[in-house]
Amino acid sequence: MRTVRAVLFGLLVGTVPLSGHHSFAAEYDGDKPVTVSGVVAKIDWMNPHIYFYVDVKDDKGAVTQWKFEGYPPNMLVRQGWKRDVTMKVGDTVKVFGWRARLNPTQAASRKVTFSNGTELNSGPPAGTGGQ
Amino acid sequence: MKRPLASVVALLASAMLVTTTLAQTQKPGLKPIPRTADGKPDLSGVWVGGGFALLFGDAEIEAIRKADEAAGRKPLPPPEPPPYKPDAEKKRQEYLARKGIDDPMARCLLSGVPRITVRPLPFEIIQQPHRVVILYEVHHGMRFIPTDGRPHPDDMEPSYLGDSIGRWDGDTLVVDVVGFNTNTWLVGVGTHHTEKLRVTERYTRDTYDTIVYEATMEDPDVFTKPWKMYATLRLRPNERIREYECIENNEDIQRFEKLLETDFKK
Repeated sequence: MRTVRAVLFGLLVGTVPLSGHHSFAAEYDGDKPVTVSGVVAKIDWMNPHIYFYVDVKDDKGAVTQWKFEGYPPNMLVRQGWKRDVTMKVGDTVKVFGWRARLNPTQAASRKVTFSNGTELNSGPPAGTGGQ
Repeated sequence: MKRPLASVVALLASAMLVTTTLAQTQKPGLKPIPRTADGKPDLSGVWVGGGFALLFGDAEIEAIRKADEAAGRKPLPPPEPPPYKPDAEKKRQEYLARKGIDDPMARCLLSGVPRITVRPLPFEIIQQPHRVVILYEVHHGMRFIPTDGRPHPDDMEPSYLGDSIGRWDGDTLVVDVVGFNTNTWLVGVGTHHTEKLRVTERYTRDTYDTIVYEATMEDPDVFTKPWKMYATLRLRPNERIREYECIENNEDIQRFEKLLETDFKK
């Protein structure tokens, strides 16, 4: 259904569904959404995807570091992001995305919610890729 | 949740009938299509041909829909499946089963024609009296398309974007592209081709804000008949072409190797 929605969305403005850099389906599982909250530990603002790392604390205080993939910088700036301003190391964030097939603490991010309540898209919808 | 294929197709068809468009005579009262000194429609500007759902917000998508409606733009023909011969279709199905892991784009290789037109990043068209230049943000792609009547050169080496020559058919720029290598997919996962590929592109500026793009792909070794695709190119007056050096930190390549050792195809 997600794929259908993505296709319809693309058609609404007159094109076929779009892609990011790679096939989402090979690396990530669109049936396994995940949301975590934590503190940004590191940001690799690079092509073809940015990666950012979030330290997530469990009930007992144990910290697990999650790795999130996102749009490349040239797409992020078009979504309203600014390097070193929008997201900084030490910021508390909530991230929504879909789990990686290989690494249990990696995901493709779709949306980041910042502590001031701002929400920005950080990566493509599930099911896209390979156009 | 899965839907039967028939309802998916019906949904797609109805969405397209309502919203997509084809080149036609412009309605009076709309912003005129700019023209160059020689009277040709001026295609110059920054355009984007795909990935609107990634690039635009909901409000902009709605504004585009309304502008299309106001301009009375007609639906584009629905997408056609690639008319592969049985062996070539088998090969495409294998690529699909591997979830696009073999995509040349995922290895940061330059996309070919027509795929580069519908990648979700802008490109700039610079129209000159003797040629049309297209500069693509994605992979630093560039095309120099002579429109002075010269033929394809006789020393072509197979390449990702092939060799292009253009001519005007009334208000439509027609581009003949040959000389491709086999390292690109046409449009969509697994859409392979041979060096015999010929692509004919038609660019028609049907409103101030839009170009109707049509690509006809011919390859006698893999297709039973020519394959057509259409897209709407949208003017992005506030965009500029940025840098995109894809290979900078491409971790996907290593992960593909590891994925091949797992059951990622399930």
